Amino acid sequence: MFPDLIVKPLSLKELSKTLLSLPSDRKYLAGGTDLVVRANADIENSRYWIDISGLEELRYIKETAKSVLIGSQVKASELEDSRIIKKHLPTLLSALPHFASPSLRNMATLGGNCANASPSADLACALVSEEAYIALYLKGKKRKMLLKDFFLGLRKTALRKDELIWGFEIPKISHKGAYMKLALRSSFAISKIGIALSVRINQNKVEYLSIALVSVAPKIITAPKTCDFLKNKILSPEILDKAASIIQKEVNPITDIRSDGDYRRSMAGVLLKKAFKEVLK
Amino acid sequence: MKMKKNKFNKIFSLKCIVNGEKIERDIDSSLTLLGFLRNDLNLKGTKEGCGDGECGACMALVSGKAVNSCIMMAVQAHGKSVITIEGLKDKNKLHHIKKSFIDEGAVQCGFCTPGMIISAQALLKTKPKANIKDIKEALSGNICRCTGYEKIIGAVKKCAKG
Ligand SMILES: Cc1cc2nc3c(=O)[nH]c(=O)nc-3n(C[C@H](O)[C@H](O)[C@H](O)COP(=O)(O)OP(=O)(O)OC[C@H]3O[C@@H](n4cnc5c(N)ncnc54)[C@H](O)[C@@H]3O)c2cc1C
Ligand code: FES
Ligand code: FES
Repeated sequence: MFPDLIVKPLSLKELSKTLLSLPSDRKYLAGGTDLVVRANADIENSRYWIDISGLEELRYIKETAKSVLIGSQVKASELEDSRIIKKHLPTLLSALPHFASPSLRNMATLGGNCANASPSADLACALVSEEAYIALYLKGKKRKMLLKDFFLGLRKTALRKDELIWGFEIPKISHKGAYMKLALRSSFAISKIGIALSVRINQNKVEYLSIALVSVAPKIITAPKTCDFLKNKILSPEILDKAASIIQKEVNPITDIRSDGDYRRSMAGVLLKKAFKEVLK
Repeated sequence: MKMKKNKFNKIFSLKCIVNGEKIERDIDSSLTLLGFLRNDLNLKGTKEGCGDGECGACMALVSGKAVNSCIMMAVQAHGKSVITIEGLKDKNKLHHIKKSFIDEGAVQCGFCTPGMIISAQALLKTKPKANIKDIKEALSGNICRCTGYEKIIGAVKKCAKG
């Protein structure tokens, strides 16, 4: 169902006024690439939409000495063009070409990819692997949490009623990154499984490691056991084989229209090894 | 063409520029950009295929970037410049990408063609020397059921410099 009304506040001040005047059956509209598709499919029932795409306050990519800061209204294609992202967030950068199509990347926002809490959200997965924090905003107050903890389950997040995703804060950690995705086609398809690997290797020894996966559980997951096993190890084919068998036990995939649970489990190990190969290139 | 009707008739005063012309209109706020272009402005060159962001038949340029107008709401184009296939012109001549599509035989039923040309235009504006890989990537959100793509890619390549 399409909404009865869409309002378009052009500042946060206008947004708070909108929230006071509009009936409570409402939702934010960012890029619209999830929300409008849901409306088209008649699975969206909210009657009022608040178009936040005009909130310039939420459209920034900046850096401080310790972090990279990204506003929730930043579009995927704006990330691809950013010098800061290219320099500091290799895993997110590697996920971008795997995300939808060029025109959808001109529309879809980073905030929308997280708010949607789909277990196959590629950019959210890369951000979890980059150890991002998410900043949330409600009635003049901000709170912050690890993005990993923001996802509670299938399409469930820690967002409160009317709470807005303000942006993301990603610590600058020196590392390399790779995003690997298996789908029905090589581009423009939702994943059967995807893995985001952020790693720093020094003289073949794993100094830093963070892994996140999509489409292998009801929400985006990390792989703490695999990370614990690999940390401070000298990489060898045997060690990577062992790590692959550990990650296969850490995932919990289902069988659905896109893929088979056993296949997904087995591919978790294969993609882990491929991702290592990619960063070692 | 699905029309998105508004029960409450709540209107939005939309201001934007379409194909170089200033537009100021009170519209149904629950209209998609595609619905606005086709039904309110009678610009029928932009097509509706899937209506879900998957086929690219509905592509238009908003602020110079290719978007799927079927899943963009018209209010999101407020204050922006929109260019549709009708707006692509080389002064008084046929637009060079359109000409290349005709010359190369890249059009069969023609339903995907406006979207293909919009994507090609967006690519060549930013990468005038686009290679085959760039072209395939840029057209990856445009589906054609007739041509098998070779002629389309060839037509775009002919417009790329070098
Ligand atoms: C054809 C197609 C292909 C796709 N391919 C992929 C893909 O390969 N990988 C992938 O991960 N996704 C894919 N998607 C899904 C979608 O594009 C992304 O999830 C996108 O990032 C959503 O962002 P948006 O700005 O369009 O969100 P919207 O549709 O505007 O919003 C989505 C939801 O998030 C809420 N929301 C949005 N922003 C905020 C905010 N700042 N604060 C609070 N709530 C908010 C909205 O209320 C809504 O419920 C695809 C979609 C389509 C249609
Ligand atoms: S009609 Fe818009 S993408 Fe198919
Ligand atoms: S020419 Fe018919 S769909 Fe492309």
